[in-house]
Amino acid sequence: MYGRKATELVKEFASSEPGQLSTFNNDVFAQVLEECNGHLLHLEPLMMNIQENENKLRDKRSEEEMGMSEDERGNSEAEKMLIQSAIKSDQFGALIHHLSLLRNKRCLMAYVYNRAEVIRNLGWMVDSVLPEEIEEKLSGTEKEYFKKHANTLQSYMAEVDLHLTVDMVPPKDPYIKVRVLDDIGEVVLSDQVANLARHAIMFLRRTDAEQYITQGQMEELTS
Amino acid sequence: MDSGGGEGYAVDDYESLMSTTDVELLKTAWRNEKAAPEILKFDSNLVQRSRQLIQFMEETVDEFNKNGVDPLTVSLYQMDLDRTMFLLRSYLRTRLQKIEKYVFHIRKTAELWNRLSLKEQQFAEGCAIDLKDHLEQSVLSKLPEQYQSHLRQSAASEDDDMVPEPQLDAYVVCRSKRYLGAFQLDDGGEEPVNIEADDLYALPYKSIKPLVESGQIDLV
Repeated sequence: MYGRKATELVKEFASSEPGQLSTFNNDVFAQVLEECNGHLLHLEPLMMNIQENENKLRDKRSEEEMGMSEDERGNSEAEKMLIQSAIKSDQFGALIHHLSLLRNKRCLMAYVYNRAEVIRNLGWMVDSVLPEEIEEKLSGTEKEYFKKHANTLQSYMAEVDLHLTVDMVPPKDPYIKVRVLDDIGEVVLSDQVANLARHAIMFLRRTDAEQYITQGQMEELTS
Repeated sequence: MDSGGGEGYAVDDYESLMSTTDVELLKTAWRNEKAAPEILKFDSNLVQRSRQLIQFMEETVDEFNKNGVDPLTVSLYQMDLDRTMFLLRSYLRTRLQKIEKYVFHIRKTAELWNRLSLKEQQFAEGCAIDLKDHLEQSVLSKLPEQYQSHLRQSAASEDDDMVPEPQLDAYVVCRSKRYLGAFQLDDGGEEPVNIEADDLYALPYKSIKPLVESGQIDLV
């Protein structure tokens, strides 16, 4: 059945957890594209048929206008009916293919567009470096898109001279208690030089800690 | 607040700055932006003033730190600063996220386009190009020629019928600072709503849009 494959794609996206990505479904994606081109192959000859028949019909009409006998007139009526019904059936066939193509296009676009939205939201959370386990789920152009979009965002932040990817939650306290999950080493923070060794529990400025938290190198301890 | 004799004037200055309502205005702008389905007008003056305010607060905190003011006092000021920073960042961020989401719609609608700041327009421009390239490379270039537009379903469509738009008839919760009297929702046939001061209403965004734009009503 036409359009079934494309529905699979959309369903796959809709049933995944919001904000989560599954691996880009290259297989089905390519199949749907193939189906689209198949539709075009059907569509083109149909359109040509319609064109031809319409031309024939026009010729008949002009012949009629030239004048003809009763007999001839009857014949030509019958022929006209035949041509018209041929046009009709070709038109319906073409319409089916056209609509299936549209539907497939919309499904493909919805799939890519909604994934792009998830990717953009990731961009807000991870600050221009994608973790590997996410990156391998993206298609080539999606990776490209992520990079380009991150650049666009970066250049906006440079323009307004304000870092926007920190401070994602309203601050309650300027300092928060965190546990370091990774050996980060000696870092210069805004108010101190700290040695961020694994498992250390520290009291840091929220803005300092946030970047590490989003990268998964620290966790906030809430009491 | 006890902050020692030496920087009394700074505190005075600070207090007087705090008593202007810029932070409150920013909070309102931020709330409206958060709740409205479409992008609202960029308040460049307010953002400008807020940034000056933030800079001033930063200087004050730095000065306190240098002069060894009681750490508790400093941390209270710091907290206030952080909150204002958050408001500003979140305000700009919310706008960018809306631009990202509805970039094609915003770009082709002059009214919306003019609501963006210059830098946001640059950002939107970049966004649109990135997204268009991405869609073209992954889908459109592989489709038959008449179906390659990213705005229209096919060459046969009469206008752009494939552009995601914000849902303007979504319900929003709003509150007015003063009595606005009977207000006719534009769906027709319904009773006009009496908008009282400080009461909460859940109304479709579309019908109260002019009130939001003129600042008569705040979204929450």
